[in-house]
Amino acid sequence: MSYQEKRTITNMITMALVLGAYCTYAFGKYQAGTGAQDDLKFWATTMLIFIGIGIAAGIVIQIVFHVLLSVTIAVKEKVRDVNCDDKEIERSIAVEMVEDERDKLIDQKSMMVGFFIAGVGFVTGLISLVLNYSPMVMLNIMFISFSAGSILEGFVQLYFYRRGIAHG
Amino acid sequence: MGKKIEIKNNIRKLRFFANEMTQQELAEKAGASRQTIIAIEAGKYSPSLELAFKIADAFGVNINEVFDYEVKGN
Repeated sequence: MSYQEKRTITNMITMALVLGAYCTYAFGKYQAGTGAQDDLKFWATTMLIFIGIGIAAGIVIQIVFHVLLSVTIAVKEKVRDVNCDDKEIERSIAVEMVEDERDKLIDQKSMMVGFFIAGVGFVTGLISLVLNYSPMVMLNIMFISFSAGSILEGFVQLYFYRRGIAHG
Repeated sequence: MGKKIEIKNNIRKLRFFANEMTQQELAEKAGASRQTIIAIEAGKYSPSLELAFKIADAFGVNINEVFDYEVKGN
C-alpha cells in the first residue's frame, strides 16, 4: 500500500470519527431537549466546535502518521542494511512521500465527487426548508453531507489508486 | 462515436535492457513516484506528455520507442 493510500485512509478514519462524535453528541443533546429545533445558535456553535475539532484532529493525526511512517521506513532501511547512514534514510523517506501528477489528478477527480455530495446536501437542505422542516434539519443535512462528501472523496481516491485513472 | 485510443508502453523491456533498472530508479530519474511508474507500466495510467518525455529521456531513447498506441472501436 502506497503512502498516499495510507494517508487517505488516515484522513477518512479521522473524518468518520469526528462525524460519529458529532452525530452522537447532537442526537444526545436533541434527545435531552437541550438542542431545541428553533435554537439555531446552539446548532451553529456545536457545528463550529466540531469543525474546529475536525481540523485540529486532522493536523495532529497527520503529524503522528508522518512520524510513525518515517520511523517505520527508518527501521526497514536499518534492517535491510545495518550500515546505511541518516542521509540514505532521509532519502528513502523523501522518495516514499513523493507526490506527482497522478496524485494531483486523483485528488482533482475525487474532489469533484466530494463537491457533488456537498452540493446534493445543500439542495436537499433547501428542499427540507421548502417542505416546512425546521432550519435545524437543514443545517444538519448540510453539515452531514459535507462530512460524508469528504469521506466518500477518500473512497473514490482509494478506488482510483487501485483501479487506475485516465485523463479526461 | 469517437475512436478510443489505448496507450501501450515498452517500459518493462527498456528497464531490462538498461541493466534491469529498478522502478524506483526510473521514478527518481523521471521525477515521479514509484507507484506512478508501476501504474504506467501496468497500463493503469497514461502519463502527461511531459512525464512521457522524461521517461523516454531516462532511457535515452525517443518517446515513440517507449509509448505506442492502438486504435480501438469504429
